[in-house]
Amino acid sequence: MKHAKTLIISGMSALAVGSAAHLQADDGLRVGVIGPTTGVFSFFGEQQRMGVELAMEELADRLEALDLEVRFYDSQGDAETTVDRLRAMESRDDVDLVVGPVLGGTGLAGLEWAKGSGMPMVISYSAPEDITMRDRAENVVRAGWTGAQPMFAFGQYVAEELGHQRIIAVGQDYSFPYNQLGGFLKGFCAAGGESVERIWHPTGTSDYSSILATLPDGDAVLYNGAGSDGLAFFQQYHDFGIDARMPLLGGSNFFAVGDLPEMGEEAIGGLSALQYAEGLETDEFVAFRDAFWDMHGDDVMPLAPAEHGYVAFKMAVNAFESANGGDRDALIAALRETEMPDAPRGPFYLDEYGNPVQNIYINEVQEVDGRLVNVPIKTYEEVSQFGPFDPEEYLAGEPDSRDFPPGDCSDPYYD
Amino acid sequence: MKRDHLIILGIVAALVAWPLLMGNYAVSQANRAMIYALAALSFSLLAGRLGWFSLCQTTFAGISGYTIAILGVRYGLPFPLVVTLALLFTAVSAVIFGLLTVRSRQVSFLMLTLALGQMVWALSFQWVDVTGGYNGIAGVRMPAYGGLNLNDTRVFYILVATVTVAIFLAVWRLYRSPFGLLLLGIQENEQRMRALGHPVYLARFTAFVLAGMIGGVAGVFLVYDMGIMSPSPLGLGHAVWVLTAAVLGGYRTLLGPALGVAVLIALETLVSQYTDRHMMVIGLVLLLSILLMPRGLAEVFEQYFKRKSKPQASVTTTTRGEEP
Repeated sequence: MKHAKTLIISGMSALAVGSAAHLQADDGLRVGVIGPTTGVFSFFGEQQRMGVELAMEELADRLEALDLEVRFYDSQGDAETTVDRLRAMESRDDVDLVVGPVLGGTGLAGLEWAKGSGMPMVISYSAPEDITMRDRAENVVRAGWTGAQPMFAFGQYVAEELGHQRIIAVGQDYSFPYNQLGGFLKGFCAAGGESVERIWHPTGTSDYSSILATLPDGDAVLYNGAGSDGLAFFQQYHDFGIDARMPLLGGSNFFAVGDLPEMGEEAIGGLSALQYAEGLETDEFVAFRDAFWDMHGDDVMPLAPAEHGYVAFKMAVNAFESANGGDRDALIAALRETEMPDAPRGPFYLDEYGNPVQNIYINEVQEVDGRLVNVPIKTYEEVSQFGPFDPEEYLAGEPDSRDFPPGDCSDPYYD
Repeated sequence: MKRDHLIILGIVAALVAWPLLMGNYAVSQANRAMIYALAALSFSLLAGRLGWFSLCQTTFAGISGYTIAILGVRYGLPFPLVVTLALLFTAVSAVIFGLLTVRSRQVSFLMLTLALGQMVWALSFQWVDVTGGYNGIAGVRMPAYGGLNLNDTRVFYILVATVTVAIFLAVWRLYRSPFGLLLLGIQENEQRMRALGHPVYLARFTAFVLAGMIGGVAGVFLVYDMGIMSPSPLGLGHAVWVLTAAVLGGYRTLLGPALGVAVLIALETLVSQYTDRHMMVIGLVLLLSILLMPRGLAEVFEQYFKRKSKPQASVTTTTRGEEP
């Protein structure tokens, strides 16, 4: 007993000293990859990690020529931990470039840190629009998307192709769904839609009966949310039989492949929009998907966070090559010039604000080879983070919020 | 008495030596450790002296952090004014929370602080116009005075270390003052203290507000350290983390909470470098420590030293309860 205590105490003090001691640093280049590999959102971090690992395998020769090493860091999905790990990358581990973070809040925290540090950073899946808009930093670019980006096209599609005039929007009450709906509204109203009525519920709601029982009438319901909330909403929506009255449209993450088996056949025909679709049949995508399955097993479908991690890492390697090493200014300049004509999701290039201009796919849930997947049925090409709008005007406007932009398309805001 | 002074000198010497010997990352880790040591001290002041286990001490840190972010970034008020208002607002919140909780004991106190903490967390998450919601408020920076940039890790360290030492010294004096003894007495036997004519509720209320203020100071540093204020530090996870650190280090002692925080942060940093399963390793260490040292690391140290010198009478609680 006594020895055990002494052991624990001395072990802990040794740890404390050891953790503080400086670690070695050598001349090689380093990329730090950060994402939530533990915690509630570990799915997204694991996807990014698998994507980066695939890119590392494909680029093995080039990595060796660059003498480039990759380290993975766990953000735990927490803003504070993210900042701490980023500090460790810079001042302890001599990292030259960061890939990540993945989640919205950690992305903003990472951006804030990067502004102070000047570290070149390729944000992958994290979608708050201000990362590449109102709060943008020269040294931070993005390989992914903004919450509104796919929804401009979706709003347009719903108004023009489906002919819906009045939409009831139900969604999780936080900034990502606000931004998604904001994009939807701007696209929807510009294409001749009439109105969108918003209903927000707190995240973590499992019982939607009070919402569903009093659901106003409209042409369709758009659910902005994902995960267990989305699943519960989907099931109760069908239990209430509302699907017979109004079709259910999804925000970008609603018909996520992981949730489709649980939604079952009723999900077939479900529409949503994203810059990615696991049902793509292009050569680039099929090659990516098959290589991913070879490496990680074909029970894991590569989703947008995996592809964004994969592409972000490739952007980083390209930048190291054209910068001829780890010089920060050269790296940042190279990153900002990024063009990816052969990305799995489709070609894209970065706009002058550092966000991809890319294809947006209107996806329909279909059964392919016994799996439910999102198959693109319409493609909007070269969509920027500002959608069809003028960047200057867009930036001068208010950011999307709980009740902005206005839900009534006849509002003077839309003139 | 003499040994205490030696310990204080030793700690101050270590704090001075740290930034001189260590790299930037170790210094930034020390900053975090000191910030959370203050939060854990705020927790321990209530837990160790009154037997009140609070889950809302990080909430006070959050309230002061949000005040700084909102007034500093949104309204652009000057730094000294922002900090003063943040502490003032924290004090007001502590007074309100204190009025609500002062009559409760143990479990009901725990539940009340849990509810209050979660309410503020939910408010920070959903009152988007003011708090920025999930995205939070970015761009919280300290000013530079002349050539002295307070955002620099090492300059920030000096500031945090000075304030932290000052607060620990003040609490050290408080623990030894008649007021500190009264708090222990209330924990031991509330009825008797009341019978002796002590204002029990007032004493508890004062302790609660003081603890809240210490949490508020932690929040000031927390928000400037992070540069962004988001709901995550107000979540239950952080409150439990502080509780864990305080219990691990020994919440009945003055230095226990700081020790617990230092050990936990060191463990997290070190283990997470090697494995993604760091939470399991840390959990195991916690399990063993609490099984073998239920009174915390600091008290084990203390007993170890005491065995060498002559045994002293100590005032710690063994049983609590009503007078028959």
